[in-house]
Amino acid sequence: MLFHTWPFALFFLVFYPIYLVLKGTRFGLPWLLAASYFFYACFNPLYLILIGYSTLLDYTVVTRMAKSTHRKMWLSVSIINNIGLLGFFKYAGFVTENLNALLSSLNISYSIPEPGFLLPIGISFYIFQSMSYTIDYYRGNMEREKSLIAYAAFVSLFPRLVAGPIERAKNLLPQMHETPRVSVQDVTDGLSLFIVGLFKKVALADYLALYVDNIYAAPGQYQSPALILATFLFCWQIYFDFSGYTDMARGVARMMGLNLMLNFNNPYLATGLGDFWARWHISLSSWFKDYVYIPLGGNRKGTIGTYRNMFITMVISGLWHGAAWTFVIWGAVHALGRFVTRELERTPFYRDKVPKLVKQLLVFAFVTFAWIFFRAESIGDAWLIITRIFSSGWANPYCPVWALILVLIVWLYQFAHESRLRWIFDLAPVRIGLVAGMILYLAVFAPSSEQGFIYLQF
Amino acid sequence: MKDANEAKIPFSSNNIRLSAREWIIAVIVCSALLYLGPALWGHLEKFDPSADYRLPYTLGNDYWLYSRYCRWACSKYDTLVVGDSVIWGHYVSEDNTLSHYLNQNAAQDRFANLGVDGFHPGALGGLLRYYGRDISGGNVIIQFNPLWMSSAKHDLQTEKEFHFNHPKLVPQFFPKIPCYKDSFSKRFSAAVERYVPFFSWTSHLRIVYYENMDLPNWTLEHPYENPLSAVTFELPASEDNLQEHISWTEKGIAQEDFQWVEPAQSLQWRFFRRTIDLLKARNNTVFVVVGPFNEHMLKPESYKTYQKMKSEIETWLQQNNIAYSVPQVLPSELYRDASHPLGPGYAMLAKQLFKNQSFKSTILKAGND
Repeated sequence: MLFHTWPFALFFLVFYPIYLVLKGTRFGLPWLLAASYFFYACFNPLYLILIGYSTLLDYTVVTRMAKSTHRKMWLSVSIINNIGLLGFFKYAGFVTENLNALLSSLNISYSIPEPGFLLPIGISFYIFQSMSYTIDYYRGNMEREKSLIAYAAFVSLFPRLVAGPIERAKNLLPQMHETPRVSVQDVTDGLSLFIVGLFKKVALADYLALYVDNIYAAPGQYQSPALILATFLFCWQIYFDFSGYTDMARGVARMMGLNLMLNFNNPYLATGLGDFWARWHISLSSWFKDYVYIPLGGNRKGTIGTYRNMFITMVISGLWHGAAWTFVIWGAVHALGRFVTRELERTPFYRDKVPKLVKQLLVFAFVTFAWIFFRAESIGDAWLIITRIFSSGWANPYCPVWALILVLIVWLYQFAHESRLRWIFDLAPVRIGLVAGMILYLAVFAPSSEQGFIYLQF
Repeated sequence: MKDANEAKIPFSSNNIRLSAREWIIAVIVCSALLYLGPALWGHLEKFDPSADYRLPYTLGNDYWLYSRYCRWACSKYDTLVVGDSVIWGHYVSEDNTLSHYLNQNAAQDRFANLGVDGFHPGALGGLLRYYGRDISGGNVIIQFNPLWMSSAKHDLQTEKEFHFNHPKLVPQFFPKIPCYKDSFSKRFSAAVERYVPFFSWTSHLRIVYYENMDLPNWTLEHPYENPLSAVTFELPASEDNLQEHISWTEKGIAQEDFQWVEPAQSLQWRFFRRTIDLLKARNNTVFVVVGPFNEHMLKPESYKTYQKMKSEIETWLQQNNIAYSVPQVLPSELYRDASHPLGPGYAMLAKQLFKNQSFKSTILKAGND
């Protein structure tokens, strides 16, 4: 049940009026919890066992922590349990595959059977969210949540359940306990966010996917221009897909009177890789910063220690995205890029003399290059794409110009939005025109098929 | 707390944030354009059907155009002939169809060809219910093709998924069609499309100007073309490229042992009965033509079952006071396959109908009135 489908529209039409009536009463949170569990069960009812277990365990751990002197032990229980769950369901196949490759290279005929279970949708998101609660409580950054129902509703909150943003308990839990009524502005803001997200997903991401998927399915059959354009378009596809999902999630939550964090802030306008990660998947980047990078020592351990910590954090971040070496390399490539741009940014020439636009284009080119590892089916494919980009000759790419024009319009909009021209987009007729334009475009030109979200697989 | 959160959390990375008043304006603008779009299009796009017009074969899924054609035909003709490819004239040119020969017999243009290829009773019912609303208070000749009861598959009764024609027109939820397994989302979209002309109009644009593709897929096929330049405001002409003037025996088709579904169990027959009820409820004078099925193609056992089934259908029509004709079987050489006559077959069928008392007393009399 995805946001851009009819089943979700029907689900929300039933859920929302009752929620508005019950919000602020003692039945509000149980209703929200029931709806969230129903939403999740629509993907697969068995997923409820896992989320129920994870919720119950972290709730119990924090309750015990509150009464115990062995706080660290209880924190360890939570972390080991959560990482164990994630490892078991997400990485067991990857580990088995690599162990079997190792056994085979050692000429050992035994092979470990492949685990046959599915990766539950959204597990990486809600487990990180739940872990942040136990860690924050351990650190004394927040109060214990006394209500199991409120805590369960926080973990399973349906707008953000399957693909984030990964909310912090100290931001979301207090909002869930609030009693003020949902205002008209909450509804109109929610609708504004939702329509932008819907347009990004349906009109842009799903469109670009048609070209990208063809090329990346058989990269050996295409020459440099097609591979470059497919990579360029994938760069935008994943942005539109994921930020579109987040916009819709934030929009739905906003209509419910809940304020979720901003997850994307025009990342392709970043002037450095540090800046890029402060704009891309902000909820995950900040999670890794707070719970991995800083505990490792952050930038307090000298230059080498800082780069080591950055490298570890980025590689883990890559692995978080998927159980494959391509994601690990993607993380490592970004880590190396961070080292280079961090050093460059320290030089007066780069910092003061290089125009902002050049920096933005350099970062964009680097990020686009790194996406090759993220999107390719295997390391072999990624390598093939890179070598063919630089070695194969010219061939007509047959890339839809219409798609490139749409991307260019969005990019120019973003540049203008962060420039002195921003006032133009503050004008009511412009904003109304943009919304009406998006609605009409969706109504007339949207693809007839529905596609899932890329980040659901993580 | 909400204000504090508001200050802490930026709204978004763009300026697209409308107030309630601005939303109302945006919705009014969109609704007006969505409502006016299809109506305005009707004036911009040339549609001037000639005598014996039938919807082009490639536009069989264009229900918006069918609706427009219906409106036009209701204003020009007193009798509409509806049905599947037998009425449309699958193997013959447009001046060899049943409606053409009916007009010839009547010596004036009274009969319009509203047949469309692949319109089994389940789909035909949906088409008339949602896109044929203009058909009211007139004469309707509706053909029932027994082919749709010739197997569990044709009758949409198999449990295994079967991709039949015009799924958007069949009942999406009730009654349940066993072989129809589309997702809830697709079914719901199909159900919504019936009630919002704008959606069927966008389908029309896709079918007529974008080679039956949505815009994204069309631009993949035509990467360097401007999508707007594809819109020429001209409908494709009706084509006759399906003509094959040879009989089923010349074509080498063998006799078959059809596994007929009994009327009491048949889904298609049930849909057909519902369609008759609908037409009558809209004050139409209804005349049913059963067949003419190619009985020469039936093996003896199958022939026996068919006769029994035909007689049950006749009984139901009589019991419900519905004017009908079960035409005599045409000579074998006038059939192209199990159900489609060739040109001379249509001529013969039209003559038979003109001699039919019931036809005279309902359709011809009503027309003269």
